[in-house]
Amino acid sequence: MKLLTVSSLALCAALFGTLATAETMVAEKGGTVNMVLLPKFLGILPFDQANRGAEEAHAELGNTGTLLFTGPTPENSVAGQIEIMTTSTSQGQNVVMLSNNAGDQIAPAAEAAQAAGTKVVTWDSPIPNGTGETVFVAQVDFGSIGVVMADMALSIMGGEGEFAVLSATPDAANQNAWIAAMEEALKDPKYAGIKLVDTVYGDDQSEVSYNRALALVDSHPNLKLIMSPTTVGIQASAKAMQDEGLCDKVKVSGLGLPAEMVSYTLNGCAPEFALWSFVDLGYLTYYTSYMLGTGKITGAVGETFTAGRMGDYTIEEDPGRPGAKRILMGPFTVYNKDNVEAEAK
Amino acid sequence: MRIPLSTLRILVLLAVFVATVLFFASQIDGYLNARLFNRISGSVAVIALIAVGQAFVVLTRNIDLSIGSVVGCTAYFTGGILIAYPGLPPVLVPLLAMVIGALFGAVNGFLVARFRLPSIIVTLATLAIFRSILVQSSDGSSITTDRLPPWLPNFATQNAFAVGDLQIRWIVVISILVVLGAHLFLTRLRAGRQFYAIGSNPDAAAFAGINAGRTIFQAFVISGALAGLAGFMFLSRFGNITVVAGLGLELKSVGAVVVGGVNIFGGSGNVLGVLIGATLIDLIDTSLVRWELVSEFWREAVLGLLILLAVAADTVLIRRLLRRKPAGGTP
Repeated sequence: MKLLTVSSLALCAALFGTLATAETMVAEKGGTVNMVLLPKFLGILPFDQANRGAEEAHAELGNTGTLLFTGPTPENSVAGQIEIMTTSTSQGQNVVMLSNNAGDQIAPAAEAAQAAGTKVVTWDSPIPNGTGETVFVAQVDFGSIGVVMADMALSIMGGEGEFAVLSATPDAANQNAWIAAMEEALKDPKYAGIKLVDTVYGDDQSEVSYNRALALVDSHPNLKLIMSPTTVGIQASAKAMQDEGLCDKVKVSGLGLPAEMVSYTLNGCAPEFALWSFVDLGYLTYYTSYMLGTGKITGAVGETFTAGRMGDYTIEEDPGRPGAKRILMGPFTVYNKDNVEAEAK
Repeated sequence: MRIPLSTLRILVLLAVFVATVLFFASQIDGYLNARLFNRISGSVAVIALIAVGQAFVVLTRNIDLSIGSVVGCTAYFTGGILIAYPGLPPVLVPLLAMVIGALFGAVNGFLVARFRLPSIIVTLATLAIFRSILVQSSDGSSITTDRLPPWLPNFATQNAFAVGDLQIRWIVVISILVVLGAHLFLTRLRAGRQFYAIGSNPDAAAFAGINAGRTIFQAFVISGALAGLAGFMFLSRFGNITVVAGLGLELKSVGAVVVGGVNIFGGSGNVLGVLIGATLIDLIDTSLVRWELVSEFWREAVLGLLILLAVAADTVLIRRLLRRKPAGGTP
């Protein structure tokens, strides 16, 4: 018994030793890595911001390879993503950076890419089962999004009352994970006064979200808040409440873009909401991919590297997806009337 | 007493409509109130325009699947023009949107009428092409309410008049006027009757000296122009326009047309029925969200099922009536 303790202590020490001496890798400028940045679909602001971040890193690292920003059109998102993944593989691209909208359906194409030597780095939205994915660059810890949403609900509602969730599509992996995390957080006694009464889905379309938000108000006469963890839904809800003169009674919160939410925050319809920087997410994803492409890191747990202006990051197990790996960016910013204008510029 | 078939269809639709309202009223607490009317009338105002445009095309034995992309494009481009020129006189703006929409419709009409290509393929292609044009030209920025001149987002909630708590908004008035105008045009004018003639018997229409190509082209231009007007209302109502605006409207419009009693193989139908069809679909959609028995995951399936039922019931009924009496005068 004693021996066992001693040996496990020794093991701990040894492990600690390796971790402590693990080298922080620094990028070597001027490498040649051909990369594709593949968003869920083209044409909306968050993905454009991510591309801006990637281009910043591209210029900074003096990559002599190419950075291609390409994606499907909105109505063809799933099939289009799989097609672009396959095309990139046959073109011999070094890394595909994917914000996955195709669920596990993209896994075979991603596996084929890996087999042909094209690395697949996911960002924003991972491949749910982790197959075919080198590493996931997570914007924030999915569990902590739940806590932030619960906290915003608590403060906006003044500690008590009913609220409802208006999400994206019923099968959106990230939103579902965030709502589940919020429900988990709500079990804490400090949230005892607030009650989640309904969850509806606006399919990430303004018109559907707008009508759902109004239907929520009709179904729940005592509703005090609509929590929408999607940039389209939060904006449509805020507009609906404003149009119907309901802002005094029903507030809106969730995850939104400052540029799109600024007027609703200033007029009190959406006093508080949160988001992370998509520019930073694109920048960090690019750095990760460049390190992988130049062979400085291999994508193993415990590897640490410096991502330019953002500092050091380490690859770790993804707690939400057994067997998969992630790099955690964080944190996010909570916006209110004091800081939203500066960010919206 | 003989009731014309088209009137009978409308009466049946109205009966189904009333039955649906009563059903949901029995299921949902506090269902029947002024708010329900205000919600549904506002959203039907947009859908009805698209559905009427679709009806013109379907009457000629064609279909316009690109309509959702046309609504998205006109909403986005009209918004973009207004941001650049905020001083445009408000009266011109809906006309501008209609012209933009008509241009998209003319592309469809030209391809279908000139080259005799099947409209289902042409408009399936332009559905994707128009959407891609929108994505490319938007460059990732969306139209937001605060950049638009204030009269525009306010317009959608302005009342023409109110009856008690029932608010009749301007967009509803405009939409109803368009439907009535289309109805009179189709039933009273020779130019309107041509759409039926082409759809019910193309050979006879040709003998009668009707230019099929030109009529079909006109149907697509009308469909585009009405989608453009709907795009203007869409912009006014939702204010924030991203590149996904109007996605999936083709399904709703075809649904409204078919439920409204327009024969999908052309030649017969009534736009007043289409208005009721559009209202019925929107009523069901809105009410299902509030009906706790149906989970969110089944809502769309239930909606599809109800559309199928409506169509099947209508078809069976009409067939039986046709068998009982000699050929009636459709539409």
